[in-house]
Amino acid sequence: MSDTLGTAAVGRGHRGALQAGDAAHAASPAPRPRKRRGRGRLRLEIALLSGPAIIVFVGLVIFPVVLAAYYGFYRWQGYGAPTDWVGLNNYKVIFTDPAFQQALEHNGFIVVLSLVIQGPLALALALLLNQNIRGRGLIRVLIFVPYVISEVIAGTGFSLMLQVNGAVNDALHNIGLGFLATDWLANPSIAIWTLMGILTWKYVGFAVILMLAGMQAIPDELSEAARIDGASYWQVQRRIVVPLLGPTIRIWGFLSIIGALQLFDLVYIIWGQYISSTAGTSTMATYMALNGRLAGNYGYGSAVAVVMFLISITVALLYQRFVLRRDMRGAVTEGVN
Amino acid sequence: MMKRTRTAAIAALGLGVALAASACAGGGSSSGGGSSSSGPVTLTFWTNATPGPGLTYFQNAIKTFHTLHPHVTIKMQTIQNEDYDGKLQTALNSNSTPDIFFQRGGGKMLAMVNASKVQPLTLTAADKQNISAAAVATESVNGKVYAIPLDVQPEGIYYSKDLFAHAGITATPTTIPELEADVAKLKATGVAPIAVGAKDAWPAAHWYYNFALRECSQATMNEVGATLKFTDPCWTKAGNDLAAFLKVKPFQAGFLTTAAQVGAGSSAGLVANHKAGMELMGAWDPGTIQTLTPNQKPLPDLGWFPFPAVPGGQGDPSAMMGGIDGYSLSPNAPKEAFQFLEFLVTPDQQKLYSQAFVTIPVNKASQSVVTQPYSVSALEALNKAGYTMQFLDTQYGQNVGNAMNAAVVDLFAGKGTPAGIVSATSEAAAKG
Repeated sequence: MSDTLGTAAVGRGHRGALQAGDAAHAASPAPRPRKRRGRGRLRLEIALLSGPAIIVFVGLVIFPVVLAAYYGFYRWQGYGAPTDWVGLNNYKVIFTDPAFQQALEHNGFIVVLSLVIQGPLALALALLLNQNIRGRGLIRVLIFVPYVISEVIAGTGFSLMLQVNGAVNDALHNIGLGFLATDWLANPSIAIWTLMGILTWKYVGFAVILMLAGMQAIPDELSEAARIDGASYWQVQRRIVVPLLGPTIRIWGFLSIIGALQLFDLVYIIWGQYISSTAGTSTMATYMALNGRLAGNYGYGSAVAVVMFLISITVALLYQRFVLRRDMRGAVTEGVN
Repeated sequence: MMKRTRTAAIAALGLGVALAASACAGGGSSSGGGSSSSGPVTLTFWTNATPGPGLTYFQNAIKTFHTLHPHVTIKMQTIQNEDYDGKLQTALNSNSTPDIFFQRGGGKMLAMVNASKVQPLTLTAADKQNISAAAVATESVNGKVYAIPLDVQPEGIYYSKDLFAHAGITATPTTIPELEADVAKLKATGVAPIAVGAKDAWPAAHWYYNFALRECSQATMNEVGATLKFTDPCWTKAGNDLAAFLKVKPFQAGFLTTAAQVGAGSSAGLVANHKAGMELMGAWDPGTIQTLTPNQKPLPDLGWFPFPAVPGGQGDPSAMMGGIDGYSLSPNAPKEAFQFLEFLVTPDQQKLYSQAFVTIPVNKASQSVVTQPYSVSALEALNKAGYTMQFLDTQYGQNVGNAMNAAVVDLFAGKGTPAGIVSATSEAAAKG
């Protein structure tokens, strides 16, 4: 409804745009019934157009996964073809290695805390930025900037600032909060919270943008009607905006969980190749890089990759089955119909 | 119109196939030309030398070699050090193997030998004159030579003479208790006594290697290379020594997140800027420190002393840890490639090499060019050393070495135990 109004409003101002829009509208909703020959052509077209993407996907995603599964059964240093078949031994070692268990715990910790910290924070910021406040554009940009900065630059910057003699501790001393100064990166009981702080700073902008976009899609009529019926601002947000934002929040949760499970770059940049397990910030991916590539155990590393893949895909499928199921059926439109 | 669409679709499909195919094939310019050749020969040469005097040296050496052998053209490719191993491994598994390539040695080389990816070399009498037998031995597997060494990098402690004098230290320490006393004196002057780049793990692990070198006999250390069983009590004793040494808190604040070589905040940078009194490092350190001083000139008061003796250890107190930089040939590299390596160890080339890389040349006839006081001290200690041992992460291979390094860092951070180092290395054997 509102979409049509918007197009018409734009069209009034720009003649050309109106015509182009009309043409597109006329073309898409009513496809003429095709003949048999046409359907064969359509299939061919689909095959040809999707072919390159499928080949690249199979060649660069599926094929490597299969290869990793294959290498995972060997003790292999990466030179020549693998010959030393060890069956499931690599997997046995992975699941009995305390270092892997710790990495898995850190991943779980990050998954949960990302949802618990970033979710409410992003929702609050999005609600705030959905208001007509001064400097809204600027604040939106500022919140989104960390997400745009590359992980390497953000990580290098934080690792310099958070050194014992770094800018953060200096600033704390200068404002009289010197007792708060600590070894942010190397103290095992603090490092993972430092990491959570950096992750929140880095990724909350993405969540805010997603939720803002979701709020834009909620028709104004609903809240207008509620307000006419006497609902307060908070009632409108709680009863209308947040429930209708559900699909967006659930999709964001999905992306956040997968990102947290596969977290690698920030940890690798800030804590380097070796000390993340010492500092208590290791993840499955840094464990894989350390014990696979750096140790030259490509067979073992492949097995770790397979384990990571299976964990991620299990979580993803469970989430889709139990959390996203409603959205797949179109929970928003259901109420309207 | 329709025809054009179809052509475009087919072209797009073709492009996709080509992309996928090239991703799998990965370039295929093989230059291996059998073992003998008479016509024009083009050789490929991979090095990890960084832009600067070192790279210029190789460019000049290639030119000089071309003048001597006009039918041989050498194409050099430089690869950033941290990317080197991965790229080399890919190349060795494909058909685009470089003829001559930088060789790290130790367990890495052993893996290449086991996979027949590296050529055994037959040294002539002249070659043996140019390269010391000890250096050749470190590049050998089962009596066969697989790389030509170019320089030796003995390890010791580089220190600032000014900071030592300021702290009232008159002579360099020769035992660990003396070193601990000097640590206390340096601390009193407000500088960090010792810098260590534990973020990179190996600089911290080198402290353990050197304690092990003092505690373990040469025979024990060599045996472990074959069995990878760290059962001798000397390995735990070395860990106990290190744990006791850590109790005097000799290292700079925040050492765990300090890198070794990059930036003024790195351990080399702390020494270069007189923020730390000393650091344990191989012979490449003066070159690294030089790039990190405020004026990018050599540190004028840099000195060197060998790793102090440990009372009661079974190792020779004069023994030294060290690394060796060598070059290997791919299995199909022509004889001209070997001639180039022979050329690099001739006395004149070795002098130029040593000056360019600020290291100790492997050819004893060229060691006269070593004049900096710290390098002279290192060279004297090296010539007096009972034996030299490769850095343990090279000696025992990447897998065990990697686990050992990580376990030592845990000990540094107060998270691990001396026994943990031994058990971590044993567990690593299960992974590869």
